[in-house]
Amino acid sequence: MILIPIVALFLGAALALLMKTPVPGVYGQYMAVACLAGFDSVCGGIRSGLEGKFRNDVFTSGFIFNILIAFFLAWLGDKIFVDLFLAVALVLGARIFTNLSLIRRFLLTKWQDSHERKRMQQIVQANQSETTQ
Amino acid sequence: MNPFVSRFSGNSWVMPVSAMSLVLGFMISMAWVTKETRGSRLGLLGASQNGRVSSGTVDMQEAIEKTQAEVAKLRADNTKLQNAMASQTSSTKALNDSLQEAKIIAGLTDLQGPGVVVELKDSKKPASGIFPADLIIHDIDVLKVVNELWNAGAEAVSVNNHRVVGGTSFRCVGSVILVDDVKIASPIVIRAIGNADTLKGAMELPEGVLSDLKDIDPAMASVDKVKSQRLPAFTGSTTKRVGIVPKDSK
Repeated sequence: MILIPIVALFLGAALALLMKTPVPGVYGQYMAVACLAGFDSVCGGIRSGLEGKFRNDVFTSGFIFNILIAFFLAWLGDKIFVDLFLAVALVLGARIFTNLSLIRRFLLTKWQDSHERKRMQQIVQANQSETTQ
Repeated sequence: MNPFVSRFSGNSWVMPVSAMSLVLGFMISMAWVTKETRGSRLGLLGASQNGRVSSGTVDMQEAIEKTQAEVAKLRADNTKLQNAMASQTSSTKALNDSLQEAKIIAGLTDLQGPGVVVELKDSKKPASGIFPADLIIHDIDVLKVVNELWNAGAEAVSVNNHRVVGGTSFRCVGSVILVDDVKIASPIVIRAIGNADTLKGAMELPEGVLSDLKDIDPAMASVDKVKSQRLPAFTGSTTKRVGIVPKDSK
């Protein structure tokens, strides 16, 4: 299930590769920052999905607006000679870390839970077979 | 019933997230630094990151050496073919003789003969009381030695196995010396073919090119006569883009 977004990611990358559309110059830099924002949104989407709090409108609008804001901030930073580029990279980098660690914790807990449940079931079955004998 | 609907109905986040992942993958691919966009984006980086990103290109040195080996081989093949053609008639033979002579002057063939080896090394002396920059070999030292060797009648000169030709340049860049864009560093071995005694004498003139170096540290420069040595052919580019031979001198 979590593999589908990953496959989609590579599919998108391959599509752009086929169209041969690398962005040159400074807009390539802004695009790179925008990618960070997109990555953060996707991580956030997966996280909220796993937590059962996913809302399509929040996710989609968040994805689009975060990308635009990151692009705009990086552009603005270059216009007013403030390295907002770094600010965007720092904040989004931190958020990506948080989101990924939450996803990891969630999956780990889920795996441990199912493991524990199986163990319990085995104990219960063993008890049952003892009592029937 | 559509199996996908039942499959994903419980987790409605998968499809939107996948769709946006598709867009994200597309964007990452667009932002990826490729050969075409590298040049225009490298200048926008800060100094430290620029250094980090560019450090990989230093490995180009190996690629350059490989290509040069190939150039040397192809030029040797060319000489063989010219000789083979010349063996047919006396007129082509005469033509080839003058061609081979021109190639020796241009440095496009290997050359063997007696001569000298001049070795220049950075000094290991502690820099007390001496200006530290005086303790290292600079491009100007190499340039002066090569110039003096030509003056003393050298027929061919090489610097660290790189043949010196008419357009060869010597430049300091950071801690290395560039000979025709090939990086070399201390110790620098300059070989010259010519009359060994004359060449050695020219190198050891009082107040000559090496005396400044030897005053600071005698170990910085040494000159040895050689009975026979082989200098490699020039492996750089010989393509001329701008100049053409005028019609009246053809």
